Amino acid sequence: MVKHRLLAAGAVMAIVVAACSQGASPSPSAEPATQAPATQAPATGAPSATAAPSETAAAGTPKDGGTLIVGLPGDMVLADPTLVSDSNSSYIQQNVIQGLVGLKPGTMDTLIPVLAESLPTVSSDGLTYTFKLRQGIMFHDGTPLDAAAVVYNYERQKNAPEALRDAYNYYFGAVFGWADKSNLKSITAPDASTVVMTLGTPQSTFLLSQTLPQFGIQSPTALKAGDADNPDPSKSPYAQGQGGTGKSMVGTGPFMYKEWVPNDHVTIVKNPSYWDAAGVAHLDAITYKPYADQTAELNALQAGDIDFAQTIAPNDVATVQGDPNLQVIDRGASCNIGNLEMNLTYKPLDNLQIRQAIAYALNKQSYIDAFYSGQAVPADNYMPPGLAYYKPLGLPTYDPQKAKDLIAASGVPADQLKLTFYYPSDVARPYMPDPKGLAEAIARDLEAVGFTVEFKTEGWRTGYLADEAVGKFPMWLLGWTCDWSAPDNFLITAFFHFQGDKPNPEFAYGPPALKTAFDSAMAATTDAAAATAWGQAQDILAADLPFVPLVSSKPPAAAKADVKGFVGAGNLEELMNSVWLDR
Amino acid sequence: MATITAPTTAARADARASRGLWRDAFRRLMRNGPALVGLVLIAVFIITAILAPFIAPYGPLEGSLADRLQPPSAVHLMGTDLQGRDEFSRILYGAQVSLFVGVFSVIMGVTMGGILGATAGATGGRVDNILMRVVDVMLAVPGILLAIGIVAWLGRGLPQIMLAVAATNAPIFARILRGSLLANREVDYVNASRSIGAGRMRILMRHMLPNSLTALIVAATLALATAIIDVAGLGFLGLGPPDPRTPEWGTMLTDATKFLRQAPYLILFPGLAIVISAIGFNLLGDGLRESLDPRLKR
Amino acid sequence: MAKYIVRRLLGAIPVLFGLSIILFAFIHMLPGDPAAALLGQHATPELTAQIREQLGLDKPLWQQYINYLGQLLQGDLGKSIINNRPIIDEFLIRFPGTIELTIGALIFAVGLGIPLGRFAARHVQGAGDGMVTVISLLGVSIPIFVLGLTLQYIFAVQLRILPTSGRLDPRIQLEYQTNFVLIDTLLAGDLGAFVDGIRHLILPAIALGSIPLAIITRITRASVLDVTNEDYVRTARAKGLTERRVDGRHIMRNAWLPVVTVIGLQVGGLLAGAVITETIFSWNGVGRWTVEAIQDHDYFVVQSTILIFAVIFLIVNLIVDIGYAFLNPRIRYA
Repeated sequence: MVKHRLLAAGAVMAIVVAACSQGASPSPSAEPATQAPATQAPATGAPSATAAPSETAAAGTPKDGGTLIVGLPGDMVLADPTLVSDSNSSYIQQNVIQGLVGLKPGTMDTLIPVLAESLPTVSSDGLTYTFKLRQGIMFHDGTPLDAAAVVYNYERQKNAPEALRDAYNYYFGAVFGWADKSNLKSITAPDASTVVMTLGTPQSTFLLSQTLPQFGIQSPTALKAGDADNPDPSKSPYAQGQGGTGKSMVGTGPFMYKEWVPNDHVTIVKNPSYWDAAGVAHLDAITYKPYADQTAELNALQAGDIDFAQTIAPNDVATVQGDPNLQVIDRGASCNIGNLEMNLTYKPLDNLQIRQAIAYALNKQSYIDAFYSGQAVPADNYMPPGLAYYKPLGLPTYDPQKAKDLIAASGVPADQLKLTFYYPSDVARPYMPDPKGLAEAIARDLEAVGFTVEFKTEGWRTGYLADEAVGKFPMWLLGWTCDWSAPDNFLITAFFHFQGDKPNPEFAYGPPALKTAFDSAMAATTDAAAATAWGQAQDILAADLPFVPLVSSKPPAAAKADVKGFVGAGNLEELMNSVWLDR
Repeated sequence: MATITAPTTAARADARASRGLWRDAFRRLMRNGPALVGLVLIAVFIITAILAPFIAPYGPLEGSLADRLQPPSAVHLMGTDLQGRDEFSRILYGAQVSLFVGVFSVIMGVTMGGILGATAGATGGRVDNILMRVVDVMLAVPGILLAIGIVAWLGRGLPQIMLAVAATNAPIFARILRGSLLANREVDYVNASRSIGAGRMRILMRHMLPNSLTALIVAATLALATAIIDVAGLGFLGLGPPDPRTPEWGTMLTDATKFLRQAPYLILFPGLAIVISAIGFNLLGDGLRESLDPRLKR
Repeated sequence: MAKYIVRRLLGAIPVLFGLSIILFAFIHMLPGDPAAALLGQHATPELTAQIREQLGLDKPLWQQYINYLGQLLQGDLGKSIINNRPIIDEFLIRFPGTIELTIGALIFAVGLGIPLGRFAARHVQGAGDGMVTVISLLGVSIPIFVLGLTLQYIFAVQLRILPTSGRLDPRIQLEYQTNFVLIDTLLAGDLGAFVDGIRHLILPAIALGSIPLAIITRITRASVLDVTNEDYVRTARAKGLTERRVDGRHIMRNAWLPVVTVIGLQVGGLLAGAVITETIFSWNGVGRWTVEAIQDHDYFVVQSTILIFAVIFLIVNLIVDIGYAFLNPRIRYA
């Protein structure tokens, strides 16, 4: 379906910041066990029995066997995670290919070691990370995982052929950059079980991003045999998923790649000799089917054609709840935000009082009830609650009278209260499941206080994103789903990044003070300094109200009632080895 | 050109015959039961479109989210839609949009196809050959893809939608008109006027075209049915009018597909409106064909 | 006959050539940018420019066209911009899907339409005829997506007697060889899978076949009536031939002509209808692919698929014309 940023990884900024300042191993505050890396109980990629809030009822003893059919919003794009950045590919590949570190299942912010036996030790300048690898892990093609294999994987991306950069290999570029310009200065293997990474400058989001499947470790033997670095992925058997198990998508995970029939299905099968005995999959196989249309997907679920729908439309929640054979799975915390975005070069949006009037005119709760089936919270910031350094900003709430007063106070004459409003015609995103309906409701609220709305629309990929990015829209619907769950991914990456010293053309907003606050937040070496800087940035945004954030949503999953043991997470980093079928 | 000071005998006879043809056709049409049903359906449809502001209980945009998805009741005869608006009122106003889009797209299609077909049929030879190859090219592309392409190219909007639907019909009209022009070229009265020295343009305008129009009229009536369906189809593929508040039947139906389980009536009513108006035009089109071409009547 | 076929084939070349130029020009006039579509929300003007260069989209149009044509003449359809897969690979997977669906729809339409039409003609003006007329009227008046969604809702969601979507139950492990599900299941000797494939085909085929069904029914009825009044039929009856024999030898043989023509004409409509049907039933075919490709500005895919649609259309028309000549030797290949 629609290619977009990965709904992925994240962790609390504090982790790395704290690590840098103490020169000790990074210590996720929520997970004391990881503070004693060498001695802790096996921290596995598999969920333990501890019930996360979003875990499906795990009554009874897990049964082994069976095939789980999963409905996804779209097809896998390529079989090599380093060449893709869409959520569908990652959703499949994270079960097959593992990285040095991962996230504790059911969380978006708790780091655990995966192929590393513990979280890395970090030098006091925050530049050198040392990973110790677990012993005896084998890739699915039977070759051993060692430090050289890890180095090979990172080097391969760092020196990716020109043609593969940007277009395919988005995340490596976004996190490190390539070749000589890479912030990954070096990666070495002093011995077979030790990997040392050296960064050019301290980078607060580094470790969090490494939980993405894009930084997973694949078998060098298979990569070479499958010509994975061919500048033309259409000619790479590896990237095209040819040859089956051990030939493509060769990782170390609880599931192994089996086959991919493009636009029809991807199948992965149980890895019986998974390195973590406690994490061996219950299922024999998982087949993923793409459904471009959410109604079709729900039909398939109700008819029993699929067992599990990765996301369902909010308006289908009631239907699923009313079906005794099905269950709704709540994913807990949100990692997205949907907005009524604005470009301040357009009149009358350049006027703060007009922007405030718009914010007061909007009844966010009515949108949540109508379009999100209540599966969302009204936004009071430019990032979802639950992220590090988030604070409630006290943004305007529904008050039509106040909106009218502000319009009057602004002095903008009635004939200039015309708003050109863009919405995407052909897409549903977790943060706006029904853009058209939402746009209509917003327009009605705006017209009730005295604005007139002129609608325009474009196809999501046939111009909407491209035209929005260069500043052609005065006012529009859009949002962001996190790449990693940290404030910078929303406030900077998604919205108010600067081009040099200038604000980006999308919003045409960015006072120098905001840039200063961002810069000091990213370079902060103490938790306190980071908190201060992020606090300043949020205060500036609250005062200037560059656009109106609407909601943070919680996209629900649905499954047959006999699907047990699933652990959901708001960023869709969800592993299937704990899932079993009670049939 | 058309100074009819001294009509030739042949032309006068022809004009009379032509008037007679239409009168006969009308008489036949009035005796054709299904066609009358079609005529009534279309009349209801047109009257609804004109009177919508007077008979609709609510405005097409009136309502609030709090009242959304209410089932049909005495207050809201066809329930309320996703935005809490009265579905019955929107169906009535929707007749305006469908009628407008349908009629104009067919007029545009007939004009484009008519010019193409008349030029080809009247000139013949190389021009005919080239024009007909263009028509072949257009026909070789599945209509809906052509329409999607045009909307993708020119952007979203009612005029673009009308043009897209017109473009899918134009080659068909061109072929029909050219075909009947060619068939008429060698008939007796044309030969007769030619023999008495009538000019080429005059023959075309006064004799060939009027007698070839019947096929075109039938095709255009039937095309009204497909036009309404095609507009709805574009709406189904997400290419309806850009202002989502427009009460267009196809878009209304498409929006409701997501709520099939909660509110099947939101599919039922616009679906029925589309089907019933399509039936009306189809019945009338068939009736016209039968009355204009008595040989087909049985 | 051979000469006629050759002439017709040669005649198709300028049409295809013209189509390729028009398509190419048209598609490059579309607003938006495949590079931007490829990048999604990550797009920046610099990245977009870079990718345009990699895709060769920065070159002059005529040069791009020459390159494209050169590739095409070598039998290379190019690659998808979006997923970089060779178009021919994906085509070979998706094309059989559309063919299976279209043939299914045709079998439904012809298999039901001809008997219905004959039935109506035999009971002309009676209640049965009226019923048939109503059915064929509904067939042309109900949009495919209304019918498709309704069938899906009733038979798959509510009654659960047929699958909602797809071509085969994903639990069935099938070794794909031809990518025709019905053929591959038979090749694998898996009768259960074959039946499952048929079950998946039923609803989409009905939805897609409804319009041709209506038209074929009408034409059959009309042409049977036409022929029934012909002298040779009356003569045959007068000779005392049985009704069955009259029907088979005299009426149907002659009534076939217009029916065959109409079936041929329906193929274009079926391909168009497949676009919507494949969308409703998540059917992995060329129609859905084309719509997605138009939305994604996947230039090469759009060009290739539409060209292929056109080739099929032309070939089918040729076959119809030949069949026509075959059925009616009086027609000269003028």
